[in-house]
Amino acid sequence: MKVLELKNVHKIYNTSHIEVHAVNGVSIDFEQGEFAAIVGPSGSGKTTLLNMIGGLDVPSEGQILVDGIDLSALKSSQIIDFRMRNIGFVFQSYNLIPVLTAKENVEFIMNLQKWPKAKRDGRTLELLEAVGLADRIKSRPAQLSGGQQQRIAVARALASKPKFILADEPTANLDSKSTSTLLEIMEKLNRDENITFIFSTHDARVMKKARRVITLEDGKVVSDIIH
Amino acid sequence: MITKTAWKNIWRNKVRSLVVIASVSVGIFAGAFSVAMMEGAMYQRLDDALNDEISHVQITAQGFRDNNDLACLMDNTGNMIDQVRLLEEVEAVSGRIMVIGMANTATKSTGVQIIGVDAENEKALSGLHSKIKEGTGGYLDPSGVENSALIGVDLAKSLNIIRYMITGEVIDSLALLGVPEAVTGKLRPYMDIRFKNEKAFKKELKPVFSQKEEIRYGHMIKEVSQSYREGARFTLTFIDREGFQTGGRFRIAGLYDIPNNMFESSQVFVLRDDLKRLTGLNEGENHMLMIRLKDVDDTREASQKIAAMFPDLETMNWREIQPDLAMLEQMAKIMYGMFMLIILAALAFGIVNTMLMVVLERTKELGMLTAIGMNKKKVFRLIMSESVFLSLFGGVIGMIISKIIISLTATRGINFASYQEGFEAMGYSAHIYPHIGNDFFVVVTLMIIITGILSAVYPALKALKLDPADALRTE
Repeated sequence: MKVLELKNVHKIYNTSHIEVHAVNGVSIDFEQGEFAAIVGPSGSGKTTLLNMIGGLDVPSEGQILVDGIDLSALKSSQIIDFRMRNIGFVFQSYNLIPVLTAKENVEFIMNLQKWPKAKRDGRTLELLEAVGLADRIKSRPAQLSGGQQQRIAVARALASKPKFILADEPTANLDSKSTSTLLEIMEKLNRDENITFIFSTHDARVMKKARRVITLEDGKVVSDIIH
Repeated sequence: MITKTAWKNIWRNKVRSLVVIASVSVGIFAGAFSVAMMEGAMYQRLDDALNDEISHVQITAQGFRDNNDLACLMDNTGNMIDQVRLLEEVEAVSGRIMVIGMANTATKSTGVQIIGVDAENEKALSGLHSKIKEGTGGYLDPSGVENSALIGVDLAKSLNIIRYMITGEVIDSLALLGVPEAVTGKLRPYMDIRFKNEKAFKKELKPVFSQKEEIRYGHMIKEVSQSYREGARFTLTFIDREGFQTGGRFRIAGLYDIPNNMFESSQVFVLRDDLKRLTGLNEGENHMLMIRLKDVDDTREASQKIAAMFPDLETMNWREIQPDLAMLEQMAKIMYGMFMLIILAALAFGIVNTMLMVVLERTKELGMLTAIGMNKKKVFRLIMSESVFLSLFGGVIGMIISKIIISLTATRGINFASYQEGFEAMGYSAHIYPHIGNDFFVVVTLMIIITGILSAVYPALKALKLDPADALRTE
């Protein structure tokens, strides 16, 4: 089942009378449960593409359909709500809320969606156990290592059972051991929850784990390999 | 979750938040205490005026107030007094005879209003009997000698009845009051010299003291050095019923001392029977009935009832007799509100500045929150909640400090003795008892919340304008 469809997506920036084609006619589809990596050199358009998929940016041309819904047809208030319910984000620099505990960070989105407390607590504990941090419920981000923070971020992204997770360079700030642990956890969650993971990455270890590798160059897809 | 996050966010930068909270606290305290001082002074003025000067309601014959004509009388006032006393709002009633005349001593004379009162009834009506200056005698005594008068300290001074003299006792008294030897020592060369009035006394001693000593101890020295011979006499002259000049020699029963200098220097109280005899008025004739109510809030209703009882006479309540007092009360509330508004507006700028820094520092985080699905309404609520918490926390601390300090000073009051003359010239007591109602705190709390909300608007709008994709790229 197609969870995400990109149809001839372009992103053009006009800067100082020069047109920059950050994304140049990308057409790809993603199925439910995929574990895909978008790779390419700096400036290849990975982050721009991910931003458009996540509804943070609007394509200059083309369509992005999430579960059949055209993102460009949504108003800005609708798109924020759509993101909350359907898309999970994992950022390069974790971006946890520093004043909240691990538990509060994970349940933040569930709170925004007004989940009942019992259901919220259950899901939070389940996810913290899945990422191996059930014993750090009351810790604040400053009390956690980089790897642990990123695991909390993954748990947060999965909290409301989104259609897919977008992870922009999730391992860029982690050491090799933390990277391995994180990738194992994400792989397991991908299998157990059947949630699509789409990474943008330079990291060879991520590419190795990914079951599909899409290579971008100058905003175009130059290869799309399924292992 | 938004509220919880907002509360935790304000403690991210403890020092900055504490500075803002402290500034709000100090601002609120300063405002509340100033209002308490102003309100205390105002209520005292009102209280003094109603207790000692004009009471709550007055009845006169039509036209009496225009020219204080002796012939403009009410008769059968005994009956009227009985009728008014039956009203449940009324606490006390008393009749007065009033004439304009002159007070004279050997060296001075001045125009006065002479008021003939029923001494016993007046005690229930007016507080003057408790305002007699120590060592100057007592209130009017109907069983005492004929032609006794109660005059104000200021009138006594202007008639040169009060003299000034430095004696050994004066110096001892000043020492007991804490005046240092360095100051009292300067008075010794002037011992046993009698100064005929305050002006001469001050002129002689002005070069002796420094400005600081003058401000700090001048008033005390003047008060203690006052010399008054109990039972001193003076003459009152006025016009009688037939239009002939009359009067009498009066013995001063006592000197009353109230904050209103103008009243003190112009109003002379004598026994009604004495004045009635001298003016040729009859029993039951009065120029004015003074009425004291149990509750000042009943004024309007009671005066309307009384006016209806005596439609041919003129009934006025204190608001109509002294509209400046009524206006004072109304204006005061508006002034307090504006005063606090100005303070809060100034504080708001500080809060706006702090919240703008917060938005700037948390650009990336705000971008993340929008990315993961926090809509604009919630982002706005987050910023606004932080702003309201900062304002409210500081406001509550400020109000607690205000309440404590106002309560502590309310009983003992704050004495501005060095500025007594200035205060009393305007009719105010120099000893102020700060006072503030609980409704003030309710209103200020609402104002603080509104300030917090309004201070958040601009920073919140800045936060809403952030593009999440750009915000996430921020370092």
